[in-house]
Amino acid sequence: MSVPSVSIAKDRLKVLITADRMQCAPDMIDKLTKDMYLTLSKYVEVKPEIFQIHVTHSDIHIRYSEITGEKN
Amino acid sequence: MGEVIVITSGKGGVGKTTTTANIGIGLAKEGKKVLVIDTDLGLRNLDVVLGLENRIVYNLVDVINGNCRLKQALISDSRFQNLFLLPSAQTKDKTAVSPEQMKKLTGELKEEYDYVLLDCPAGIEQGFQNAIAGADKSIVVTTPEVSAIRDADRIIGLLETHGIRDNHLIINRLRVDMVRRGDMMSVEDVTEILAIDLLGVIPDDEQVVIATNQGEPVVGESSASGSAYTRICQRLMGEEIPIEDFNRSNGIFSKMSHFFKKN
Repeated sequence: MSVPSVSIAKDRLKVLITADRMQCAPDMIDKLTKDMYLTLSKYVEVKPEIFQIHVTHSDIHIRYSEITGEKN
Repeated sequence: MGEVIVITSGKGGVGKTTTTANIGIGLAKEGKKVLVIDTDLGLRNLDVVLGLENRIVYNLVDVINGNCRLKQALISDSRFQNLFLLPSAQTKDKTAVSPEQMKKLTGELKEEYDYVLLDCPAGIEQGFQNAIAGADKSIVVTTPEVSAIRDADRIIGLLETHGIRDNHLIINRLRVDMVRRGDMMSVEDVTEILAIDLLGVIPDDEQVVIATNQGEPVVGESSASGSAYTRICQRLMGEEIPIEDFNRSNGIFSKMSHFFKKN
């Protein structure tokens, strides 16, 4: 079964919106995420498969570990 | 003292004008005194959707420039006695009005009307700046498409930058069958990304096209879109009406998506 097109839409949209909100090129987010991961991992234990950056209009949220029992 | 609400979207063609017309009529039917203003200079549309295109004498630019008194430019709707339209100019260029002039005008108008609804042009240029200048709150209209949601997010950012923080979302043209198949973003998908208050969801409905052909509203009708607009008006007036349940994906797809998320 092929991937439902909605998941492609959501992935594309998330990249676009993050780039728009930070006013930078889409590939900057990847670089930023990588740099943030490397920086953070010097000080705390970070799981690479969980590590995630979420940008709003005013804040940057970083997720670095999974809380058990959580929905995501 | 009334409220000035701008109806905006960024992207064109998502249903701002239809939404302005139907909310305006819906609120007027509830006994509120409503003025709808078309702020799209050069591309006048709201009068056509309302079926009032043959009644125009003066317009927004005439009022701003003092070519006529406000009362002379307002068009009353014989079907809905509490509804008034201030049409846009079809010929003037879009620099004919400034944000300061709009702010002054809407400030005066909300003394007299319960609701002043501003139909905003597409884009983020001068027309947008004019439309939001005097707004107390906004209704951001989007459809469940990547480009429309992206533009809506930019608009929300710009509204917040201009100090308008009371922003509400309408998701237009939702197709429940496509959401179920996994081929359209769901209400939850959209609200998760845009993260503002959800005012309502309008299902994709051919009655909107038919009504627009005739210059008639859908609000108040028994159609899916008509009742959705009625509920939006009730929510705007402060009633607690829950959002309809456009159940996300179910059956085999939800199991599949669960599977994808885990891996």
